[in-house]
Amino acid sequence: MALSGRFRSALVIGGQSIRARKLRTLLSMISLFLGVLAVVAVQAGSEIANRALLADIELQQGKDGSLRAGLPPGPDTVAITTDLLADHPGIVGATETSAVIGEPGTTPINPGAQPFKHASRDQGGYAVRCDANGMCTQVMDDSPAPPGEAIEVRLVGVTGDIRQFRPFPLKSGEWLSFDGEPSLSPRLVLNQEAADGFAAHPVPAQMRVPGASADTTPRITGVIDDGGYAPTAYIRADELFTWLNPADAGSDPRTGQGTMMQLYLWPSDQPALQTLTARLSGAGVDVTHIYTSPVDSRDRIGSQLDVMRWIFLGMAALVLLIGVAGILNVGLATVGERVEEFALRRAVGTPRVLLAGIVLAETLIIGLLTAAAAVGAGAAALEVASTLFGPSEPLLADVSFPWQAGVAGVVAGVAAGILGGLLPAIRAAGIPIATVMRA
Amino acid sequence: MTALIELSGLSKTLTGQGEPRPILSGVDLTVNAGDSVAILGRSGSGKSTLLSVIGLFDRADSGQYLLGGADITRVPERRAARLRSAEFGFVFQRFFLLKHLTAAQNVAMALVNGQGWESRRTRRAKVMAALDRVGIAHLAKQRPPRMSGGEQQRVAIARALVREPKVLLADEPTGALDTETGALVIDALHSATDRGCGLILVTHDHAHANRMHRVVRLTEGVLRAEPRGVAV
Ligand SMILES: Nc1ncnc2c1ncn2[C@@H]1O[C@H](COP(=O)(O)OP(=O)(O)O)[C@@H](O)[C@H]1O
Ligand SMILES: [Mg+2]
Repeated sequence: MALSGRFRSALVIGGQSIRARKLRTLLSMISLFLGVLAVVAVQAGSEIANRALLADIELQQGKDGSLRAGLPPGPDTVAITTDLLADHPGIVGATETSAVIGEPGTTPINPGAQPFKHASRDQGGYAVRCDANGMCTQVMDDSPAPPGEAIEVRLVGVTGDIRQFRPFPLKSGEWLSFDGEPSLSPRLVLNQEAADGFAAHPVPAQMRVPGASADTTPRITGVIDDGGYAPTAYIRADELFTWLNPADAGSDPRTGQGTMMQLYLWPSDQPALQTLTARLSGAGVDVTHIYTSPVDSRDRIGSQLDVMRWIFLGMAALVLLIGVAGILNVGLATVGERVEEFALRRAVGTPRVLLAGIVLAETLIIGLLTAAAAVGAGAAALEVASTLFGPSEPLLADVSFPWQAGVAGVVAGVAAGILGGLLPAIRAAGIPIATVMRA
Repeated sequence: MTALIELSGLSKTLTGQGEPRPILSGVDLTVNAGDSVAILGRSGSGKSTLLSVIGLFDRADSGQYLLGGADITRVPERRAARLRSAEFGFVFQRFFLLKHLTAAQNVAMALVNGQGWESRRTRRAKVMAALDRVGIAHLAKQRPPRMSGGEQQRVAIARALVREPKVLLADEPTGALDTETGALVIDALHSATDRGCGLILVTHDHAHANRMHRVVRLTEGVLRAEPRGVAV
């Protein structure tokens, strides 16, 4: 009862004072609003950048927390592995070879599956090999074929849906279907770079894979974004191996490495990996070269983005400090104006704790309302930016407001309210009645 | 019968910018229920200081202060606030009304002070009764800037009376008013003693002082009885 009496008195007194100072309350909210908005903007910005970066790394490296295993090349590696993976749909294997699509017996426009931007056939007796990231190396090639209308792609054969580990967004068409029997006319899904290459350079629909028994006519079913720079085509591994002996894939004269296999798996599937290792070992594969590494996408980006975040948060904190100074200023001025009121309230028996509490609660409420407004404004701005610029700026396409930014904003608002209200509250509690009321 | 207020040997030294100055040096005073006492004294003699010690705005340095027989010489602030709310009513020379509140809200301020809670209906009834007692119930919705000095001071008296205090402390309540209005204010204060309230009035006006049961004078930090009926 005593507590509720106090609480109700505080409500009445605080309400009266806010109503008496509407404009001033509004003004003190503005500077804080900007400060909280800055904090929200930094938090939202770094969250979005974080997500974008993570999504990008996951495209190329795999989902955070998954594992990758590299199997050494060997005549039976692929056969043994695909056989085992048939019983383990949670594990996906990927082999990589190259393919030239277009005029047979010619040097492609982009030897070694180079990105088209800096593709050049004139390598002076050298052939070029490029990896998924567009890193190219030259190898000796004494007898280059004549230039022709052909495009070279990295050909990635996948035993299952690799998108559970690398969430490639579909750009057009359809992703590979793993149901049903393998088709004799191989189905390909291109990455963006390969699709751009085929759009720019019309080539005959004939595909040559080094070591394959015959050329085939591929069907392109869709385009995805795999985050890579080298033109790449994805294919069902069983369709690839219909006419390519896995053992022969290793006879690529330019690499001489043979077909390796990458496995994507979750830690829970590790026992299957041990079974596989045992079988490979039994088949004479040197299993000491099997490596397993965890995918730590989050850790990779963590440190580099954290520095930026702290710098920007520092700047936001400065802006917020100005907001606190604004509230403090208004709070102290208000207490100065209300010296007589506070002395009078103490004279009629209002406890000083209650007066301090009312002053603190006033700024706290101001801080909370302001924070709510700033968070709302930030969310609305992001929504608007997303609809306006989303189509042209993929970073802004369908982003949702990160809740961390909302929490940061509210915390900042409350902190500003407490910091800005504490000093005025202490001053209000310390007003001496006798001095003020003396006639 | 225990006295309402019993001060003995009360002293108080104030330290401003310069040397500590003894303001009160052994004040003795007894006030019974329904008693009224006028305190005279020249400006700066320490009358307001004495009232602020009696009203528990401040504490004495030494001596003894009994309120209804209980020693409250060194009462802690929390309890002092409770006593100010329950036992004392204050009226000042400057009326100390809040400009942004109506007369009724200004009076209700003494009820909305965190010491207990009464329903809006009860508060309204008490406020209107208090305003009625000082004859300005019709001004309940008026704000102070639109009231005369006498009306404002009567709002302040209503605020002091609304909790039915045991002691009414008035520090030069007519100092800012003309003689006629001042007389009305003194009437309002004096009528409170009919209900058993003790009244301590600080004033420079001998006519007002002489309407009290007793008149004392504060000189050199002590109270001395003033001979009755001294002309100005
Ligand atoms: N806070 C203070 N510190 C020191 N001296 C003070 C303080 N307040 C008032 N005084 C001095 O104490 C004396 C008594 O003041 P006061 O009680 O207001 O006198 P009165 O009400 O009789 O005019 C005055 O001389 C005044 O200057
Ligand atoms: Mg005085």
